[in-house]
Amino acid sequence: MIWVTWRQHRAQILVTAGLLALLGLLLLGSAVEAGRYVAEHAPPGCPGTDATCGDLAAALDRRYDAVYSLFGWMPLVAPALVGAFWGVPLLGREYERGTHRLAWTQSVSVRRWLAVKLSVLGATAVAGGLLLSLMVSLWRPVFRVGADSTFGNIGVFNMVGVQPAVWWLYAFALGVAAGSLTRRTLPAMALVVAGVTVTMFTLFRLSVHYAEPARVELSGTVVLEDPDARLVSAAWVEPSGREVTEPSVGGCPRGVDVGQSDRNARAWQACLFGEGYRYAVYYHPPSRFWRFQWTEAGILTLASLALGGLAVRRARRD
Amino acid sequence: MRAALEATGLGVRRRRTWVLRECSLSVPAGRVAALVGPNGAGKTTLMHTAVGLLRPTEGNVRVAGEVAFVAQDKPLYDTFTVAETLTFGRRTNTRWDDAVADRLTGLGIPPRRKVGTLSGGQRAQVAVTLALARRPDLLVLDEPLANLDPLARHDVMRSIMAETADRELTVLLSSHVVSDLEETCDWLVVLNGGRLQVSGDIEELLDDHLVLTGPVEASAAGARVVGESRTGRQVSMLVRGTPPQDPRWRARRPGLEELVMGYLRSPEAAALPRPAGVGA
Repeated sequence: MIWVTWRQHRAQILVTAGLLALLGLLLLGSAVEAGRYVAEHAPPGCPGTDATCGDLAAALDRRYDAVYSLFGWMPLVAPALVGAFWGVPLLGREYERGTHRLAWTQSVSVRRWLAVKLSVLGATAVAGGLLLSLMVSLWRPVFRVGADSTFGNIGVFNMVGVQPAVWWLYAFALGVAAGSLTRRTLPAMALVVAGVTVTMFTLFRLSVHYAEPARVELSGTVVLEDPDARLVSAAWVEPSGREVTEPSVGGCPRGVDVGQSDRNARAWQACLFGEGYRYAVYYHPPSRFWRFQWTEAGILTLASLALGGLAVRRARRD
Repeated sequence: MRAALEATGLGVRRRRTWVLRECSLSVPAGRVAALVGPNGAGKTTLMHTAVGLLRPTEGNVRVAGEVAFVAQDKPLYDTFTVAETLTFGRRTNTRWDDAVADRLTGLGIPPRRKVGTLSGGQRAQVAVTLALARRPDLLVLDEPLANLDPLARHDVMRSIMAETADRELTVLLSSHVVSDLEETCDWLVVLNGGRLQVSGDIEELLDDHLVLTGPVEASAAGARVVGESRTGRQVSMLVRGTPPQDPRWRARRPGLEELVMGYLRSPEAAALPRPAGVGA
């Protein structure tokens, strides 16, 4: 059965491996080049958070962005491709071509056929996702010293830790289930793309509830110092301690900003702070990185098992 | 006489309609059974339940020993080479006979050719070989001769028959072309509109029936009439058992096709062994 699985799905596996290798080379090249640049141009004490490191940080940012723009869409596109080309054909293509009547009438039972294919390909998808995560995790620190964005930026968050692995697994299971439902490859592929997109959006909205948000009261500024935090909500706190969304203070004129300037808004905020107002921010600190990683991994793994179970049930029913 | 295939009260419902109903039949081991009936009669459904692709809604079907199946249109993996297709068979089956698989080379089918590029006849040979190499006790073939030219039909049929001659292999093959089956089959199963009409030994069935022709006025009293057709003042009928007394009838033994057509035209008629006879 392992031979059958390899023979039927080797094209997808090899193409995926090739693309990962290509991405690996790109990341390696970019990291080596950046490392060389730092060695030649870095002032003493840099890279770091020192004020003299600004130029270097900007140069590294430009290099980072050039590569990131190439694969920044990976958190969405990679799972969609895995679902469409690994998951969908597993059952969808068999039904479409009628070859399930060949495959499932040999001595190997349907249960075994599905168990081997789902576990082998599922494990390979997880391995591929982990490899992607590893490569990205090794590459990013070359450019990012001090402040990082693995938690606050959902796109980056989905590319590190265990996220790529569970997303690939989920998309694979979604593809298998879609293929068994539609029994056609093309509609199932469309379903997978839609499903992955909707799931990613839903989980993004849901993720603020993974933990009770932390609360901090700011005075003098409305900007949270930690750039990697995930903001949940914010409110003004009256001098009495009551939280309001709209402060009702007559003494502070609220001018209208024109164009890119936020001078009037700042003046209004400064006036409120002068009146004794504080600004409460609800947020998730980056220290919750792994808690969020594992929560999302749990949700996606359970969903994958449910989708896999659905596909197995449908395949064995008739 | 051991039964190679035995169905009892078999029924399959798809949504609200029954595609197969109250089907009880038994095919003795070593027979080559023809499953005939018009399109939509339930032939494929019966076969799919026998090979385990479909779970019956009611009743059950039992198969003695290993069963191999060649589905309609001979599904194969088009991107596999012929050799890889045989490897697929070897890897997914507990019983596998390489000597049988080697017959493809004798048929001039190159092992490195992609299955998708084979001719219809060659594809059929690969599909049949894949099934035969499993050394099955029962071989089920759904429309194995459809879409083949006469030469290929002959070759495929010869391949199957060569295998049945060597050992006790029971074959159940379906077709809606009766003439394909006349020379090779010795057991007949007729399905019509999801119901079983005929099941029995072909020679016994033919011995047991008569085609009568005579004037319209001739009396058919005392005969079990399966069906009749009129052309002008002449009437022709298929009867079972003893012929009627009226001397104006001329009687002869029916051909297989006449027998089948007689029953298919009269869906309410049936020639089935008594329940006690099933599996006897």
